[in-house]
Amino acid sequence: MEIEEKLALLNYKTDPEYEHITINPKICETCPDHFCTFACPAKCYTLIEGRINFKYEDCVECGTCDVACAHGSVMWTNPKDSHGIKYKFG
Amino acid sequence: MSEFDVIVVGAGPAGSSAAIKMASQGLNVLLVERGDPVGSKNVSGGILWGNDLAAIIPDWEKSAPLERYVERKVTSFLTGDSEIAIDFKTKKFQEKKTGYSVLRTRLDSFLARKASQSGAMVITGVTVDALAMKDGRVVGIINEGETITADCVILAEGANPRVAMAAGLVGKPNDRTVGIGVKHVYKLGENVINERFNLRGNAGFAGEYVLSFLEGGVYAGGFLYTNKDTVSMGVVINMETLRKNGNTHSFDIMEKFAQHPFISGLVEGGQLQEYSAHFVYEGGYEDMPRAYGNGYMLVGDTAGFSFSNGMILQGMNYAISSGILAGEAAIEAKKDNDFSAESLSRYQKKLDNSPAVLDKKNFQGINNVVWSPMVHRAIPALLESSLYSMLYETGNPKKHLSQIMMKSLKSSGMNSKDLMLQGYRLMRRM
Amino acid sequence: MIILALEIIVLVKQVPDSQEVVIDPVTMNLNRSLTRNVTNRADENALEAALQIKDKVDAHVTVISMGPPQAETTMIECLARGADRAILASDRFFGGADTYPTGLTLAATIKTFGKFDIIFAGEETSDSSTGHVGPGVAEFLDIDQITYASKVDFKDGYITAERELEDGTEVVRVPTPVLITVLLNSNVPRRQTLRRKIDAMKQGFESWDHEKVGLQPEWVGVRGSPTIVRKMRPIKERERAAKKVDLAGIPDLVKELYQKGAIKLESE
Ligand SMILES: Cc1cc2nc3c(=O)[nH]c(=O)nc-3n(C[C@H](O)[C@H](O)[C@H](O)COP(=O)(O)OP(=O)(O)OC[C@H]3O[C@@H](n4cnc5c(N)ncnc54)[C@H](O)[C@@H]3O)c2cc1C
Ligand SMILES: Cc1cc2nc3c(=O)[nH]c(=O)nc-3n(C[C@H](O)[C@H](O)[C@H](O)COP(=O)(O)OP(=O)(O)OC[C@H]3O[C@@H](n4cnc5c(N)ncnc54)[C@H](O)[C@@H]3O)c2cc1C
Ligand code: SF4
Ligand code: SF4
Repeated sequence: MEIEEKLALLNYKTDPEYEHITINPKICETCPDHFCTFACPAKCYTLIEGRINFKYEDCVECGTCDVACAHGSVMWTNPKDSHGIKYKFG
Repeated sequence: MSEFDVIVVGAGPAGSSAAIKMASQGLNVLLVERGDPVGSKNVSGGILWGNDLAAIIPDWEKSAPLERYVERKVTSFLTGDSEIAIDFKTKKFQEKKTGYSVLRTRLDSFLARKASQSGAMVITGVTVDALAMKDGRVVGIINEGETITADCVILAEGANPRVAMAAGLVGKPNDRTVGIGVKHVYKLGENVINERFNLRGNAGFAGEYVLSFLEGGVYAGGFLYTNKDTVSMGVVINMETLRKNGNTHSFDIMEKFAQHPFISGLVEGGQLQEYSAHFVYEGGYEDMPRAYGNGYMLVGDTAGFSFSNGMILQGMNYAISSGILAGEAAIEAKKDNDFSAESLSRYQKKLDNSPAVLDKKNFQGINNVVWSPMVHRAIPALLESSLYSMLYETGNPKKHLSQIMMKSLKSSGMNSKDLMLQGYRLMRRM
Repeated sequence: MIILALEIIVLVKQVPDSQEVVIDPVTMNLNRSLTRNVTNRADENALEAALQIKDKVDAHVTVISMGPPQAETTMIECLARGADRAILASDRFFGGADTYPTGLTLAATIKTFGKFDIIFAGEETSDSSTGHVGPGVAEFLDIDQITYASKVDFKDGYITAERELEDGTEVVRVPTPVLITVLLNSNVPRRQTLRRKIDAMKQGFESWDHEKVGLQPEWVGVRGSPTIVRKMRPIKERERAAKKVDLAGIPDLVKELYQKGAIKLESE
């Protein structure tokens, strides 16, 4: 099963106003490893034509990218006000 | 005057246990959880080991939302072609339960409801932004710029404690202290599960796996637990080796485990219900932060009371027991009306004699061994080739076991001295 | 002259989380024990529209819901977003209501207020989505109604609202009292802060039974409902499949679909 299909099973309450994780494109531009694209289990980080594309909407708030990025690009916070992932089983 | 005696941040097993303990003794407690409903952010494998809940919920084995009790425990090495396992079943677990499978959304809601029934104010859907500090002590919490005051704050944020990190009470997680947990839940039906795992009634299966088939030097452990009518399957990926590899996606490792010939059959026909991921705390004794200070205490994963190394996965039990001990400490501190670091050091004293800390101490350094080439590569390879040579009918005269072992050892790429040394280290620490 | 605060009422319903609705295959009812409940999303927009008026003029906002005791979480949530008062009409006699007694019960609750100026409702709910209740309440109260409003403004006793229609946007101006149904996602509901949630928990909500609402048991709930559900059938899950083909593969794909009966020739 593809990861996209797995993510499609999930229930999110997306916050239209607040992106709880942001990256600094300047830093990513010169990144030698793009480890975030390998580490993030929700495939929020993808490399499109050499540029990092990040979508916070699919994030399951695992925390991985904050540790994975060794270059200080990731600004990680919790979503606010019950937004974000809502697991049914956990 | 503070608004609350104690504010607990996070309604995982640690936070709710602390709140239940304190509120049932009459403390004025606020429990704040960012998920709504409680548990909707949380992931465990999960087997709740032990009997720690009994101290706050005497009838927990009847009232808590438990899936199945562990009757059959499997520890296994998976190579590309083979599975070598110890399959331990005992009827003894029927009388004295060692662990139950649980699903976190249900368990956490139950515990938070207990906290509310005990008299705590439980508020969900609110993220605590920071600690409020005054004169070097914690005086409350901050949300959207507003301060709510308390004599004491218990941080139970789990393995990714943003508030504790921002306040400098715990270090930033790193490749060594956290792993990536990824999980599938399949719907399979009660009867299919019973047949397939050879179970009856509410007996359950708990399997833990070393994924030695992974290529490119990545280490990961796997688990597979039966629930009532679903199966939980997941992996814990070692961050250090994933980074070194630099070319493997975490989600592909989960899929590879699910596709392994001896795993996929176990959930065949099952419908994937949920995909999830969460940090797994993996730090050792040396990584543990100081668990208390002026006006605060740390419990559960936030305090480093979790145990995971790709072979053992425990944390809910320690979360509960540490939460209860922090609760006790707060109750005593309230009697003295003193929540200074000195007064709260009683929490550390309680911890020092508890399994949470003792286990951590005893297993000091074991992660270096368990997350090692010996466990993840050499032992499985050795076992596989020895068993294969022993059991495969060649028509030739049988060799002695020792000869087979020596031959297999050679092909495993480890020399016998290394093996002896690492084996000795492992034994000493187990 | 005494200027009384504007009395604004918001109708809110607690619904099962839409992504998790489970129909019990035996009884054919919504299995509400398995699903988690949330505030109907359009009703959050209705409350926000009310609060935006309260931000500008002296107003008093009351939320009213008819529902089971679990709706407590919705009541607290509305208070925490900024409502001044929350009433839950909850009584075993109210159970099993269709849209008629639902509207009647809500209207009767509102009537006990004496004075009311603006009533907000969502356009429809995510669980039954009839869209009857708002207009029904307006009829029971015999007041004007503005449906499907995307933008609402209040000034000098008049509501100016934009209505999203199929062929454009209509702007209407109506004097109060008036009932307005609000479109889903027409605004961004404000956050519930911890401080407001604590205050909401302390304040609590009111629970009203049929006597307090002022209705006889036989007028409400299942007994007061003219609708009889004769039969329900589950929708058979259709098998879905996706296939990626390149341009050259299209003729084969068409052939395959034809053979499976998924498409027909025009002449057939
Ligand atoms: C894949 C996986 C498998 C596991 N398997 C097992 C197992 O089989 N057995 C076992 O015993 N353990 C297992 N564990 C470990 C176990 O899940 C943890 O040790 C345990 O959950 C720790 O409990 P806790 O209460 O400390 O933290 P958590 O359970 O993480 O709870 C923390 C809570 O705090 C909330 N929170 C965090 N920050 C804030 C904030 N700023 N404001 C408000 N709320 C906040 C979170 O939403 C969460 O509800 C597993 C872990 C993973 C990831
Ligand atoms: C499976 C099923 C079948 C049903 N069949 C029928 C049927 O055939 N005929 C029938 O008439 N009813 C039927 N009902 C019941 C009924 O439709 C609704 O549950 C109820 O009457 C409210 O209508 P609604 O949810 O469609 O609300 P809508 O009319 O879609 O709601 C519009 C707005 O009205 C307000 N509102 C609605 N309900 C409430 C409430 N309880 N409290 C406060 N405000 C509210 C909210 O602001 C909401 O956004 C059925 C229900 C179910 C679950
Ligand atoms: S987020 Fe970090 S790891 Fe990812 S591309 Fe940017 S700099 Fe590299
Ligand atoms: S927190 Fe986890 S899921 Fe979210 S973007 Fe980071 S790595 Fe991906």
